[in-house]
Amino acid sequence: MKLGFYPRLAADGIRKNKRMYLPYILTCTGMVMMFYIILYLSVSPALTGLKGGDIMREILSLGSWVITVFAAIFLFYTNSFLMRRRRREFGLYNILGMGKGNIARILVWETVWTAVLSIGLGLFAGITFSKLAELGMVNVMRGEVTFDLTVSHLSVIRTAEVFGIIFVLLLLNSIRQVRFASAVSLLRSENVGEKPPRGNLLLGAAGVLLLAAAYALAVSIKNPLAALLWFFVAVLMVIVGTYLVMISGSVLFCRLLQKKKSYYYKASHFVSVSSMVYRMKRNGAGLASICILATMVLVMISSTTCLYFGAEDAITHQYPREMNVSATFTDERDSSAEPVKPLRDAVEAIAASHGAELQNVCGYSYLSVSGAFLSDGEVETDANRLDSFNVSVLGNITTFCFIPLADYNAMTGEDRVLKDGEALLYAYRTSLVGDTLTFKRGLTLHIAGSADKMAASDSAARDVVPTVFLIVPDLYAAMEKLVEGMSEETEQYLVMRWLLQFDTGLDADGQKTLCKELRAKLREGGDHLIHFDGVTVGAIECRELERDQFFGLYGSFFYIGIILSIVFILAAVLIIYYKQISEGYEDEARFDIMMKVGMTRPEIRKSINSQLLTVFFLPLGFAAAHICFAFPIIEKLLRLFGLNNVSLFALTTALSAAVFALFYALVYKATSNAYYAIVSGAREDR
Amino acid sequence: MSILEVKNLRKVYASRFGGNKVEALRNVSFTVEQGEFVSIMGESGSGKTTLLNILAALDKPTGGTVLLDGQDLKSVKESAVAAFRRDNLGFVFQDFNLLDTFTLEDNIYLPLVLAGRSYQEMRDRLTPMAARLGIDELLKKYPYEVSGGQKQRAAVARAMITNPKLLLADEPTGALDSRSTDELLRLFAQVNRAGQTVLMVTHSVKAASVSGRVLFIKDGEVFHQIYRGGDTDQQLYQKISDALTLLATGGMKK
Repeated sequence: MKLGFYPRLAADGIRKNKRMYLPYILTCTGMVMMFYIILYLSVSPALTGLKGGDIMREILSLGSWVITVFAAIFLFYTNSFLMRRRRREFGLYNILGMGKGNIARILVWETVWTAVLSIGLGLFAGITFSKLAELGMVNVMRGEVTFDLTVSHLSVIRTAEVFGIIFVLLLLNSIRQVRFASAVSLLRSENVGEKPPRGNLLLGAAGVLLLAAAYALAVSIKNPLAALLWFFVAVLMVIVGTYLVMISGSVLFCRLLQKKKSYYYKASHFVSVSSMVYRMKRNGAGLASICILATMVLVMISSTTCLYFGAEDAITHQYPREMNVSATFTDERDSSAEPVKPLRDAVEAIAASHGAELQNVCGYSYLSVSGAFLSDGEVETDANRLDSFNVSVLGNITTFCFIPLADYNAMTGEDRVLKDGEALLYAYRTSLVGDTLTFKRGLTLHIAGSADKMAASDSAARDVVPTVFLIVPDLYAAMEKLVEGMSEETEQYLVMRWLLQFDTGLDADGQKTLCKELRAKLREGGDHLIHFDGVTVGAIECRELERDQFFGLYGSFFYIGIILSIVFILAAVLIIYYKQISEGYEDEARFDIMMKVGMTRPEIRKSINSQLLTVFFLPLGFAAAHICFAFPIIEKLLRLFGLNNVSLFALTTALSAAVFALFYALVYKATSNAYYAIVSGAREDR
Repeated sequence: MSILEVKNLRKVYASRFGGNKVEALRNVSFTVEQGEFVSIMGESGSGKTTLLNILAALDKPTGGTVLLDGQDLKSVKESAVAAFRRDNLGFVFQDFNLLDTFTLEDNIYLPLVLAGRSYQEMRDRLTPMAARLGIDELLKKYPYEVSGGQKQRAAVARAMITNPKLLLADEPTGALDSRSTDELLRLFAQVNRAGQTVLMVTHSVKAASVSGRVLFIKDGEVFHQIYRGGDTDQQLYQKISDALTLLATGGMKK
């Protein structure tokens, strides 16, 4: 005897329960593979030189934690299916004279086999695919591709450790289950008559209410900041609501169908409705999990692809011109063109030395203040007086950007005239301003006309809240009035700035060099620093340089979104598979009886189909509803990342939903075939 | 007239690769008249269950014919066989075969629902029958909430609700305690007196002793039969016991 008795018995047990064990081992393998790949990527040398590589590293290590937690929960879930099938066998061993200790030894060996198999295969697959994953990642981040295959020993060890621990926990759980059950209860555990669930009216109603409230919340929020604050609340509500509705609501619904005699006592509904009622409670949790996973996958895929493919959009939106120079006035009383003249000259001179000509120039002084429109239409600028967790207040927060008339005229070439107390208005993403605009305890402005030639500046596009541009005759006078309405604390944030944006006519490399040169010569801490009186030079940005950063960030999101989606889809598929398989084994006897009583084969097919369709497409339908209602709130969240392209998001959402549905249909087909095989197997063998 | 005619029935089981052949039924012929209560007895492996499966159209004979009410079972198409079974035959099984997902009431309705009857009609049929079988209080309960005897009575109701031409019972008392057995046997005798033809497979002498005629099967053939004539249950019981003893020691021929 080469192998010992227990290892052989355990291996036999796995082989004989192939239909249950194979998917389980495959899942473990998949999880191990994903985990290794993520770990490997997070230490991948390919990231080192890459712009945004650090961000990617952070996000990847975060992702590895997500997968660890998820894998643990999920493997426990699938393992419970396995144990339910095996208990009978263990009960028999127990009755035939094996002690609980001996059974525990079998369990230990079974765990050893599965662990060795799945960790081994998973690592092998992980190492094989890690290069592919790395290429994908580097490509997504627009980096240089290298073609050497490396193995990260650290990652291998970490992966083995993490999954080793998970398997030990699984084993302890199994042993616990066997230890605390008598032989007879083990033997019978599979066919314990299950109590028909009582649909709990209260819970079901609470679920419906929660869902409705979450939907209402998601639809009603208009402001990205509020969206950020309330998104997770809404997500929690949806998760809890889905579970409640699926567990209690569906039973209630089926009960109602049963009450309707003319519907229930029809050959096509009779069997499927009753077995759904019978199972719904236990299955409710499974269905809800599938639904939540599907929703998560859809949200992740649609938003990250949208971010990734909308990145170029977001960049041009945030950097309307190639180059950006900003400065702060040291003395607010003199915010005219005088103090900035030397800075502007210096910029032009440096640009000229690079062969660049300033085109499409936009330069002005401004003062920006944030405040919230109150219910009476006035604006509160003192943060301490605002209830910042109130949705309606949050939704009305606006940035007010004051620009002197002289700069506006110079920039646009217009010749507008304003009296004291008058202003021109350009409102960006808001329509709350009427004929007059009053700041609490301070400035009141009459809107004399619109400043339609004023284009939204980069800061406005980058800002998540709406912006109101106000062209005023005297910036300093406006500022003095504004300060009256503020506390000293708020007042310190009031800074007068100057902004210069322009195109250079240079190619991408030229722009980058110019930007670096500008930084070196103009900014504090640079070499050959040029000093200016009256202003301090702030940020100097170049669209080309920012682009890498953008793709680094959005590429990371995109990439991790895809990896996590694969993991979640894997999980959803497996939940469905196990559900159907275990039900198939239960139904085997049931369909046998029905055939004896006189149910024809086509009738059986029909009833199986109607059950499977419901079980499969109920969660998908719910997920679709979740996505529809989540759409507006996610669209707001995407604005935080500088993405305003609603139609792109709609497109990615629709596409991911379509792809997911297609994939889902394939899984449905495969699973239902397995189910038919089990259910009809009993009769066909005769 | 005879409701069931079995002529020269033969059934051979071949093992999966065609090697060993086992003759489960060699040459079985008998008839059952309308309104009769026939028991079929025999030891394990004598071919009782094979015979019942063929009569129930669950299995096909290798040779011979089965006529139910004049109709040859072979002429029933494969696709129509389930519907044929539903409309003409009622079954009572040893292990009840009630579905856990249904209440007793719905279990009883099952064949009628499959036949597409209206709820009104089903209820009209069930109400008097449930009262007769003493299960009218239990209709809303699930199978695992009632006793074995109660389950078997519900199974009888399910078998009878289609007004089948023939009621087939396969060891109906096998899983019951003695009190429930007595009750069920009384019930069978009662439905038989009401005109229902019953064919029961059993190896319980007690069960067989309530029937009108007992067929003994041995080695795939009908070996012997006993008519009740004017005997009481006790007298018939004694005759069956004697026949079984002879059967076991192997003396007597038909």
